[in-house]
Amino acid sequence: MSDASQTNNAISIRDLVVDYGPRRILSDVSLDIPMGQIMVIMGQSGAGKTTLLRCMLGLKKPASGSVNILGTDIVTASRHDINRIRKQMGVAFQGGALFSSMSVAENIQLALREHTNLDEKTIEIMTRIKLDMVNMLAAEHLMPSELSGGMTKRAALARAIIMDPKLLFFDEPSAGLDPSTAAELDQLIITLKNTMRMTIIVVTHELDSIFKIADHIAVVSAGRILETGTPQQITSSSNPEIQGMLNRKPRETIVDTDAHLRRLVGG
Amino acid sequence: MGSSVESSMECKLKSESGFDLLELSGEVDLQFSPRLREKILGSLKTGNPLLIDMAKVSYIDSSGIASLVEGFQTAKSSKLAYGLLNISSTALQVLTLTRLDKIFNLYSSPEQFKQQL
Amino acid sequence: MQRAIESLGANVIASLERTGRTFNLMLLVLWELVQPPYRFYPIVRQMYFIGARSMVLIVASGVTVGMVMGLQFYNILERFGSVDLLGSGVALSVILELGPVMTALMVVGRAGSSITAEIGIMRITEQIDALECMAVSPHKFLIGPKLIAGVLSVPLLTALFDFVALFGGYFVGVVMFGIGEGSYMNGMIDNVEWSDVRLGLVKSVIFGLLVTLICCSRGFYMHLTKAGSEGAEGVSSATTDAVVLSSISVLFSDFLIGALF
Repeated sequence: MSDASQTNNAISIRDLVVDYGPRRILSDVSLDIPMGQIMVIMGQSGAGKTTLLRCMLGLKKPASGSVNILGTDIVTASRHDINRIRKQMGVAFQGGALFSSMSVAENIQLALREHTNLDEKTIEIMTRIKLDMVNMLAAEHLMPSELSGGMTKRAALARAIIMDPKLLFFDEPSAGLDPSTAAELDQLIITLKNTMRMTIIVVTHELDSIFKIADHIAVVSAGRILETGTPQQITSSSNPEIQGMLNRKPRETIVDTDAHLRRLVGG
Repeated sequence: MGSSVESSMECKLKSESGFDLLELSGEVDLQFSPRLREKILGSLKTGNPLLIDMAKVSYIDSSGIASLVEGFQTAKSSKLAYGLLNISSTALQVLTLTRLDKIFNLYSSPEQFKQQL
Repeated sequence: MQRAIESLGANVIASLERTGRTFNLMLLVLWELVQPPYRFYPIVRQMYFIGARSMVLIVASGVTVGMVMGLQFYNILERFGSVDLLGSGVALSVILELGPVMTALMVVGRAGSSITAEIGIMRITEQIDALECMAVSPHKFLIGPKLIAGVLSVPLLTALFDFVALFGGYFVGVVMFGIGEGSYMNGMIDNVEWSDVRLGLVKSVIFGLLVTLICCSRGFYMHLTKAGSEGAEGVSSATTDAVVLSSISVLFSDFLIGALF
């Protein structure tokens, strides 16, 4: 794999090792995420994809390895440099993670208020533009507790993109959404990539979304990257574990009905 | 990434016959959009219609668009004509994404704008 | 037996870790607070939350405690024939001890537990992560205003407590038992030194800091305490721990301060 500073990679991860106490969660993970593309990190629960995400966000320090984001290795960088990079990143957390004591609009505007000197009116208009983009203008003054699951996700997205970040992260975007809202969200993700030239990283296990939106896929299992590639490459992968994930093998039919009956009833 | 001369924003206000022309160039982002906003609102205060030439704008973010929107609303309430000239396809894409492409009056020549006055 | 000792040792180490983390937190927050920009509105808001909403409770408990002290001191002093010392007795015990300690304990129950729960919930719903990812320091934005508000509010509430408690003592002594008003008032003024008032003030400032710091810390570091204490159960146990720990800390530091000065 080539040196990150030379290629057009938004994120370059090398030999990442992450431990939680005595347990090794990630072993020798290396991954390149090209600029302006949608990378989907997929894997079953517990595979380590959330930990990988947290490392990219600077929320978890690895035992060893490097995470190079937009030219800076955030593992060794100072807090000041990490924050500089973070201002070009937006994150939509799994549960939304909206600040419960603030309205939707205040949630969205927080980054603007903390990091810019923009006029009040400009902030207001920018907030409304983003709310309109996610079709939530009416919810401007609602509190997070008053939002449905889908609305929470959309508000979280509006908050994540308020500063037009170069990198956008999604943690399980479709979780808890009905199919049509999930499809709408997928469409929005694609549009954001195309129009605003964002590099988008999606961590999910929702198969339908993955193949609709991904330019690249990285499959994580038991703390390692099994394979990376385009959707076509992954679909035609010879790795049986990956095929298992994709095909959602049904449970075996019950052969010995007597034995099963005994298992259920006992004796 | 420092702000080199190329990536900063320039805006020049010119008086034309019957309206003001604001020539915008460079990157309009969080750093420079306040200046744009000042120029737009300042010009509208003089009571002249305003045409903003966007041909040389290489990048505009939502703070820049917000300034354009605020200018439009201010112009409307002062009953002044307001338009965007020669908007690039990338900027138009952004406007479409934010559903503002149908809101603004877009022109491809100053004469077109003059006709509306 | 060996296991009991081991688990005791583990508990001690865990407690030391937590204390160290809490102390660290205070240093981090203070360090971030002294850097610009300075925001005052969040502090005012927290002072309202901690202070203004506790006022009714403080007044109610203050009057009651003052009356109880008036009653007890009267009974005791009567045996020695020195009921004219009632004013001094009530005043000194309130200003030196009961005011600061009772106020701090009331604040722990009223505001401290909510602070732990609020911050704890923010921690487990990733709101604190969200702040960090926005390059906003949770220390400065979330905890800082609460700490400052605690240090400012608790002394003010203590002063309020003292005032109404002295009135409660007055009510019992003068109105109920018929001690001369002048005797009560002079007793207060003559025998209460500025050093006493100062000591009470110092105590209330330290208590305010302790209570707020411990309650914030318990919520903030919820995710680092024993695994398995996630979710609602974790929040309620963090809250209980915070209340118990801050109460004990208040009482213990009350002794320390009293012994040292």
